[in-house]
Amino acid sequence: MAKSRNTGRPPSDGKSGSLTSDLAARIRRAQASEQAPGDAETAEANRNMSGWNRGMRLGTEFIAAILVGAGMGYLLDLWLKTGPWLMLVMLMVGFAAGVLNVVRSAAEMNRAAPRPTAAIRVPDDEEDE
Amino acid sequence: MADPNKVDPIHQFQITDIVSFGEGGVSFTNSALFMVLTVGVIALYLLLSTQKRSLVPNRVQLVSEMLYEFVAKMVSDSAGKAGMKFFPFVFSLFMFVLVANMFGMIPFFFTFTSHIIITFALALLVFVVVIVYGVYKNGFKFFKLFVPSGVPGYVLPIVVPIEVVSFLSRPISLSVRLFANILAGHITVKVFAGFIVTLGSLGFLGWLGALLPLIMTVAITALEFLVAALQAYVFAVLTSMYINDAIHPSH
Repeated sequence: MAKSRNTGRPPSDGKSGSLTSDLAARIRRAQASEQAPGDAETAEANRNMSGWNRGMRLGTEFIAAILVGAGMGYLLDLWLKTGPWLMLVMLMVGFAAGVLNVVRSAAEMNRAAPRPTAAIRVPDDEEDE
Repeated sequence: MADPNKVDPIHQFQITDIVSFGEGGVSFTNSALFMVLTVGVIALYLLLSTQKRSLVPNRVQLVSEMLYEFVAKMVSDSAGKAGMKFFPFVFSLFMFVLVANMFGMIPFFFTFTSHIIITFALALLVFVVVIVYGVYKNGFKFFKLFVPSGVPGYVLPIVVPIEVVSFLSRPISLSVRLFANILAGHITVKVFAGFIVTLGSLGFLGWLGALLPLIMTVAITALEFLVAALQAYVFAVLTSMYINDAIHPSH
């Protein structure tokens, strides 16, 4: 057959298998060449974004639990007229609930995040000092 | 802002009546106006962009489809197949918060997500949906949420109040996060923009100095766009996680 691939027309039949496999390879190549330059930048932006996100999430989870605990204790005190005691107890309970919230969301984030490779993890650990 | 030394960063959050019905009664405020606009823009955009329903979508339709698939994936990832029942709910919340935040980035527009009463109402809506559906679906077993499995009986008096407080803190943290992010961001932009005006009134050297806050303002504005999208995403993700708790109430 005189038909060449460069015409861009699909072949009538018979050769379609080889053409589609070639097409897949070309798509892969195009995707690779398109994504490669911006990839590092995007990953960096994602990390910053999720860092901000994580910080806000843990902070609010912790504070909200303490506020709710103290507020509940205050209302119970108003209702039962038991001085400041229930509020103090519930403040502690709220603190515990805040820690629980933080632990839970951190565990959730760890599950969701892909496991970092050893090469990335080592400098990360040393940054903390 | 004629007087350069009187820049008021809080002024943008003031609620003003547009139409009031009766003395001290219900009024249609600028906040309500922007809520109506938000809903209108979402409805118009989604309706018009998907009207043709072409198999090969054009750009406008593609954006709608991507939003749909994005939220659908989010819901099914965190709440499973059974959670897809709540897809319309989560999608509405996501679009409402997203468009509201993005509206807020347009100058002179009112950002109603910077008012805690709005975000708290949204969070409370999520909370009520979770409780009502959880009790309806699981009956009394829903309250197993407060009793973690594998805990010996004698620590339950301590663990159960902690779990209850932890559960009740969810609408607070959900609403405070959205409100605080938007409020803080808008004030920051305004304060830095105010520095430009104040420094600019000092003459030539002031103009040079004003370059720094100008750069900051541009950078923070970009950051604010990111935060606006991110907070809508976080709100929707947490909503679907809480819905997951309503469907499968066990830790």
